[in-house]
Amino acid sequence: MSVRELDLKQEPPCTSGLGNYLWSDPPDEKKWADCVHCGMCLESCPTYEQTGQEQHSPRGRVHLIKSVAEGKLQVNEQFMDPVFQCLDCRACTTACPADVDVGGLIEEARGQIRQAMPLTGIKGAISKFFLHDLFPHQNRLNTLGGLMKFYQKSGMQKAVRKTKVINIMPQHLVDMESIMPEVKEPVKKKYKDVKVIKAKGETKKEVAMLTGCVMDVMFSDINESTINVLTRNGNDVVIPQSQTCCGALHVHAGDRDMGRKLAKQNMEAFKDFDKVIVNAAGCGCMMKEYAELFKEDPEMHAKAEEFSEKVEDISKFLHDTGYEKPKAEMNTRITYHDACHLAHGQGIRQQPRDILLDIPGVDMVHMPNSDRCCGSAGIYNITNPEMANAVLESKMENVPDDVEMISMGNPGCMLQMAMGVQKYGRNQKIVHTIQLLDWAYQKEDRVKEEKE
Amino acid sequence: MRTKDRVKSQDQHILNLAEIVGGSRSILYQKEDLLAYDCDGFTIHKHLPKAVVFPKNTQEVAEIVKYCSENNLPFLARGAGTGLSGGAIPLNGEIIISMVRMKKLISVDLENRRAVVEPGFVNLKLTNSISDKGYYYAPDPSSQYCCTIGGNVAENAGGAHCLKYGVTTNHILGLEVVMPNGEIVEIGKDGIPDAPGYDLLGLITGSEGTLGIVTKITVRVLKNPEGKQTVLAYFDRVEDGSQAVSDIISAGIVPAALEMMDKTAIEGVEAAAFPVGHPKDIEAVLLIEVDGIAAGIGEQIDQILEVCRKRNVREVRAAGSEEERARWWANRKTGFGAMGAISPDYLVQDGVIPRSKLPEVLSRISQISGESGLRIANIFHAGDGNLHPLVLFDARIPGESEKALEAGSQCLKVCADVGGTITGEHGVGIEKREEMRFVFTEEEIAAQTEIREVFNPHNLLNAGKLFPSPSRCAEVKKEMKAQAIS
Repeated sequence: MSVRELDLKQEPPCTSGLGNYLWSDPPDEKKWADCVHCGMCLESCPTYEQTGQEQHSPRGRVHLIKSVAEGKLQVNEQFMDPVFQCLDCRACTTACPADVDVGGLIEEARGQIRQAMPLTGIKGAISKFFLHDLFPHQNRLNTLGGLMKFYQKSGMQKAVRKTKVINIMPQHLVDMESIMPEVKEPVKKKYKDVKVIKAKGETKKEVAMLTGCVMDVMFSDINESTINVLTRNGNDVVIPQSQTCCGALHVHAGDRDMGRKLAKQNMEAFKDFDKVIVNAAGCGCMMKEYAELFKEDPEMHAKAEEFSEKVEDISKFLHDTGYEKPKAEMNTRITYHDACHLAHGQGIRQQPRDILLDIPGVDMVHMPNSDRCCGSAGIYNITNPEMANAVLESKMENVPDDVEMISMGNPGCMLQMAMGVQKYGRNQKIVHTIQLLDWAYQKEDRVKEEKE
Repeated sequence: MRTKDRVKSQDQHILNLAEIVGGSRSILYQKEDLLAYDCDGFTIHKHLPKAVVFPKNTQEVAEIVKYCSENNLPFLARGAGTGLSGGAIPLNGEIIISMVRMKKLISVDLENRRAVVEPGFVNLKLTNSISDKGYYYAPDPSSQYCCTIGGNVAENAGGAHCLKYGVTTNHILGLEVVMPNGEIVEIGKDGIPDAPGYDLLGLITGSEGTLGIVTKITVRVLKNPEGKQTVLAYFDRVEDGSQAVSDIISAGIVPAALEMMDKTAIEGVEAAAFPVGHPKDIEAVLLIEVDGIAAGIGEQIDQILEVCRKRNVREVRAAGSEEERARWWANRKTGFGAMGAISPDYLVQDGVIPRSKLPEVLSRISQISGESGLRIANIFHAGDGNLHPLVLFDARIPGESEKALEAGSQCLKVCADVGGTITGEHGVGIEKREEMRFVFTEEEIAAQTEIREVFNPHNLLNAGKLFPSPSRCAEVKKEMKAQAIS
């Protein structure tokens, strides 16, 4: 079923609400019942760190979300502010002694807000363009990627920067433009006619791969590296062409209907595989939480839970199934940034570090508060630039001076950190963990060839 | 962070206060924002403040206080809002002065073993900032990850390691305080301990924010102990565990910490985010830490193991690594919050008893639990007899909050009856106002409120806390609780 067809199937209007939540799929009472208001989450929260205001803390947000259900608050602009200022970084779920799912509550509350107050005007148009007209459509993204490629290759980028035409854009977009990675051919397109990318040597396993939307347009070389690393370690790789955007950006924005549609499409696209490998922390985390979207549909809920079991981050997959240790010396000093949706969202902290430390000549320097959000948070840096910049500044203060690279496992973080490096006059290269492993393999092969 | 910088209010007081703190980013006045401030870690009473202001420095605090005082507006100071007795709840619709943006570490003077912090500085951050040089700040309330040192001073906070090192008041060398009329005074200037004259530092520390607002704090910092070891002991009978606690102290050992959790508490911490695999069928676990000169540690540990074995311990062992030790402590220190995993609400009490009465008091608490039909978990600093019965309840069930309050109060009565008292480290706040009568006569309470009047004559600062209103009898007390709950 295509997204278009699904679009036509409207969900029935809700009749049963919860307090002042009047729509279906309201925040889940069971989630806040665990919160005893102890406040252990406060210091983990980047927006509380910045503002010192408790409505911008996890505990405060849970309290407000609960208050709407109790009828003490309305779903209105004032309620929207704290709920949408949340970065969705999930650091509070790591800090919480009672495992309160604050992130889940926030997303459910956003769903209610978006139904109560649909975005209108220019904001609505921009949101609709990104979330409905762009991200779910790989071909359009590719076109955009092509345009960006043209922008870079044709000399237009140079011209725009030189003529200062760029100065008419808002500052945060200027910052973003300046770190735009070089756009290459998306792997989904490249392998369109290849059913199975065969393992090098003996096949041990067959895995499917999510190419992602931002990842494949902006960082197709990371997807390429992921394929190289998987095939080198005995995995046949399949890229199902009917896969689509994971829906994380939609769910973060409160568009849960679209999230459900995309989830259904992906569950269908990957149904014949035992493993779905993801190299973007945000996408992996979302796909592991699809069941959350189907709380009111037991059948889909069960299916989603089953599907989520198959989803795995590349670093965990390699770590658990074993991988060849590279032999070439990389001779570089690096540091590692924990993407929120890997560390807090999926509990993956040690695996990527182990992979990096297995590369000969990699010297890893500890980054203080490495699991603190960088402020990227999906498209938060576009919707809340001021807060995103404040959070980025505090992140950059923790990046050690004497490293050449910052490694991580999420494309959103990579763009944001690249912006941080540029903005604060640093000189680190931003790399994906898997890229570094792939480069080590490639170097090993080159050395071998030269010898022969 | 809202981008609109204008304060949209019809209330002249709000506009004037906004002026003092420098605009809309430093004041909250709309109901949706204020709701996050209607209670602290004590959730049974809730009340909306009139506004919350965020001063950046002492001068602003003084101006706010002066304004409130001149305009007869009740006000109070709030840190991270992790207090457990309701000390920061705006009972009278106060202006809340949030101290969290005053969060600088002003100076560290290791030679003289002291540091100066602003009140919003987080407790654990002090230790983290000096640990690489081999120093630490001793008072360690379980909320130390996020509670502020200003709040610690107000409540005279304790913690697991206060058995050996003392509570907050033993670590305060100097304070800068904004008095309720807006005057700024310094007490214990230059951080020289034991200044002549009345012990005003001692009076302000633990005054629960009723005498003044602390804006700068000079604290004592300590050198890290050379050695440290932690022992975990499981008991099949609470009596054996309690007896082991007494025996350890009687043997002349002063552990840095001596903590105990009972079966219900263990169920909570094991169901929550930091489980360590305590067996489900034991009745009590002890966590015993000794520190000091490295050479003496081994001998003390042997003694402790010996004592535990004599008291029929099921299993006892020392931590095999720093990592294991850290896990044991994370499990213990997140204990209160962990109750959320087994109960929607809890009420924590804070009684102190002579150590020798431990088995008797625990069995009476268990009786209270049986009679009220509410589960009571016990997590406590056994070494100094500071009990924390956690009454588990569900506020959504009509009548259960009242039952919980009553059960909590009965626990305190038991503590008072065996020669103990009603609070060790959480403060009286709103929660234990009436229970003050268990330990003080009407005259003693009146004498203390007279002291308050010297500092806070119009009672605008944090009114209604710490003491029961004079001449209120039991019926009024009941009515007050009913009101508070509704």
